[in-house]
Amino acid sequence: MVNFSEAQEKLKKYREDNERKSKEVLELWDSSVKHKINQLGNDRYLVLEQVLIAACDCNRIDVAKACLQMLLNKFPDSLRVRRLAITILEAEEKYDEALESLDKLIKADETNAQTRRHKVAILKAKCQISEAIKELVEYLKKFMVDQEGWQELSNLYLLEGEYAKSAYCMEEMILHNSQNHLYHQRNADIRYTQGGAENLELARAHYSYAILLNPNNVRALYGLYLTARSLMSSQKNNQTKKNTFKKIATLSLKRVEHIYSEKRQLNKKDQLFELETLMGWLHLSLN
Amino acid sequence: MTKVSFSTVAYCKIIAHAAKYPHCEVNGVLLADISTRGENLVVVDTVPLFHQCLHVSPMSEIAMMQIDQSASSCDMYICGYYLANETLDDLSYDKPAHKIVDKIIEHESDACMVVINNRLMELNQKESALIVHAQDDGKWKRLNNSNVQIENVALVAASAVLQQQLYNNLVDFDNHLDNLALDWLNKEFCLSVERTSGHDTGRRLMINKIVS
Repeated sequence: MVNFSEAQEKLKKYREDNERKSKEVLELWDSSVKHKINQLGNDRYLVLEQVLIAACDCNRIDVAKACLQMLLNKFPDSLRVRRLAITILEAEEKYDEALESLDKLIKADETNAQTRRHKVAILKAKCQISEAIKELVEYLKKFMVDQEGWQELSNLYLLEGEYAKSAYCMEEMILHNSQNHLYHQRNADIRYTQGGAENLELARAHYSYAILLNPNNVRALYGLYLTARSLMSSQKNNQTKKNTFKKIATLSLKRVEHIYSEKRQLNKKDQLFELETLMGWLHLSLN
Repeated sequence: MTKVSFSTVAYCKIIAHAAKYPHCEVNGVLLADISTRGENLVVVDTVPLFHQCLHVSPMSEIAMMQIDQSASSCDMYICGYYLANETLDDLSYDKPAHKIVDKIIEHESDACMVVINNRLMELNQKESALIVHAQDDGKWKRLNNSNVQIENVALVAASAVLQQQLYNNLVDFDNHLDNLALDWLNKEFCLSVERTSGHDTGRRLMINKIVS
């Protein structure tokens, strides 16, 4: 049993870090917060909102509805609470009803980004990927600085196999934050998947930059190895270039090996041996 | 291939992977023993692959190289692929990531493909949550449930995995890439399944030093 103030602190931390710990939130609610909701002071409504969303995530519609009722009593006209009601509809899989109410909300307040994002999410839940993309593109025309929006659009394009468009979204993310190694790595991942000499060159550049920003990004290191290996076998490149690519591939593998060996103390010897064998095999395939 | 059966540990790992990331799509590969290759497919182990971004290829290539290498070192082979979609009722298998299975089929024409029916991911596993497909004339056809064999022990063990939240210990390849100290062969997880079910999990994928 967690005591009340501890539970309160934990919930606050989850909220601030934007963590999706729905099960944990519900456990805290059930074990302590539920009975003392009136002692929460100003945080009360934030907690209710948090628990409501977590409850929808865990299919505890009863809890969600109880929270909604308390929120409605306090804020009968709030758009934010109405959006929560839609979240419950969504959890009950009443998608059409949810979309209908959402359209009303969008009309009531056209500047609200959240409601529009919500609509994209429901379309995605209905597996209508192309409609979701259309809606999200419209949304991003109006709210161009929404990085999460661009990321989601990139993912949706990947689902459709539209690699060039997906990469464009990643580039948009890089423009927003050029120092994030994950964006460079993902962009390179997409380029590599798309294939072709030009894309491989781009993948090489972005992987390299990701590694420069974070030398411990294993995905980028492996990615650079694969990219260099493909470039090596391409006919277009001359011998000196091929040698450079070979060096790049070897270097990135060495770095991965080094990261493995740093973890040595964490592992049993056995496991390290396994990994070294794999590494050796990767080296062999280079020649 | 006429019948497919899943070992306890293979089934538990698939279920645990989907349960650990209920809000993501997940995928992985199935493994079988070379010595039992024949009319019926016996899946002895699985390797959970990704949950973050399935639809780009570089890391799957790395994972497949490593799995292929360790499988051949202990006389196993990759015999199939499993996936769970992000949304509840989505049972499709035509998204870009799932092209992996076409590659597997090129090497192993008897391979099968498993889609997890999210609706059957219940705390008390009464029936198998797997929808198994086999290739027939170049097309995927769903296998009849009577041709898919999952022992009762496996269902009981999977229920225990879900109820005791053992799935938190499962390591997929994404976890491994985030922290190389984590073991994608999942020795720990298999032991915990063994402890709760009270049964020996039988043969599992490992890396045989002597051969390699």
